[in-house]
Amino acid sequence: MRQNSIIPPVKSSPFPHVVVEDFLDEDTLDLVIDALAGLEYSFSESDLFSYWASVKLTDIDHPALNVLRKDLGDKIWRDEVANAFKVSKLSKIDMAAYVYGLGDFLLPHDDQVEDRVIAYSLHLTPDLEEEDGGSLDLFEDDKDGKSKLVKRVIPKFNSLNMFEVSATSWHQVSEILTDIQRLTLTGWYHV
Amino acid sequence: MSEINFYYLEKPTLSNLNRIFESAEIPFIRLSKFLSKEDSNMEVKLKRDEKIGFYKRNIGQAHLGDFWKSKDFLDFLKKGTGLNCQFRSSEGQSYGPGDYSLLHSEEFEGKRLVVVYDFTKKWDIEWGGHDIYTSPDKDPLICNRDAGTLMLTRLNEGDYSCTRYVSLKSESIVKFDKVIFDIK
Repeated sequence: MRQNSIIPPVKSSPFPHVVVEDFLDEDTLDLVIDALAGLEYSFSESDLFSYWASVKLTDIDHPALNVLRKDLGDKIWRDEVANAFKVSKLSKIDMAAYVYGLGDFLLPHDDQVEDRVIAYSLHLTPDLEEEDGGSLDLFEDDKDGKSKLVKRVIPKFNSLNMFEVSATSWHQVSEILTDIQRLTLTGWYHV
Repeated sequence: MSEINFYYLEKPTLSNLNRIFESAEIPFIRLSKFLSKEDSNMEVKLKRDEKIGFYKRNIGQAHLGDFWKSKDFLDFLKKGTGLNCQFRSSEGQSYGPGDYSLLHSEEFEGKRLVVVYDFTKKWDIEWGGHDIYTSPDKDPLICNRDAGTLMLTRLNEGDYSCTRYVSLKSESIVKFDKVIFDIK
């Protein structure tokens, strides 16, 4: 179950984003982490990224994942998210789990794919520190395509990060520099 | 002026190169110790070149200067690849920790021969920084760094190349000349 259903004011710079801390209650959190530990992950690598990804979790029937899908995707919460970002109604969500290990990364990209409105990631690694890498970095770009890293979000355990997907929502996951495993549940709210 | 290793100018070698070049899925040759005399200007000033979502690197003049337009090199290209090439551009590039280029930077490119001459020293494969070449429905070609090696790759429209992200743990930098020839 959601422990925290209050979304703080959305920050506008460099693009609309917000962090909801302590999102799940402890019991749900334990069940979700257990469920994710039992999944198979396949290594994916391209010029843009290097990480381990689960299959899409949208349709998997598992008690913990069913609860999680409800917590992240029920109408009450979708309306809260839409109101917080001042966007039109959000319909469905998709979801997959990602593990970043030593040397893994996701280079800057804007997430723009048809129908995606809000991107989210629920962070499930305890005690991740700045020295571990794996931060969510937000960039500001100018008209020449030059970019400046303006915000570094160190993923806090059980925090839900969300941002509005647009042509300026440039972000990356910085390289993992230690043997920590950065586990997130990530997906998008769609139109 | 730099000089090509005599071995690569001998008829049997050139004929072999032609055969190897044509037999690869993505036509490619990799020639180590390509130059017997390397007349490079490593003092060339490279400037920052960034476009978010495309590349982050340094670029400038080619370290081997006019060698890439020299008759010796053009003759070698013709005999070694069998292609009728026309020089388009040359530049020096370097990639430090955190730098990268992405494949889609080469969207809208036509048929071309990509020539890379590597100056990268003391490289650990775990730092990334290798070159990647892709062509639809073919396995990607991965070229690891190796100082003194020349790599020739023929790419068609819809084929791309890039330099893979360099780890923040890298203790050296990737450095090479990249030369593009249009294929007639």
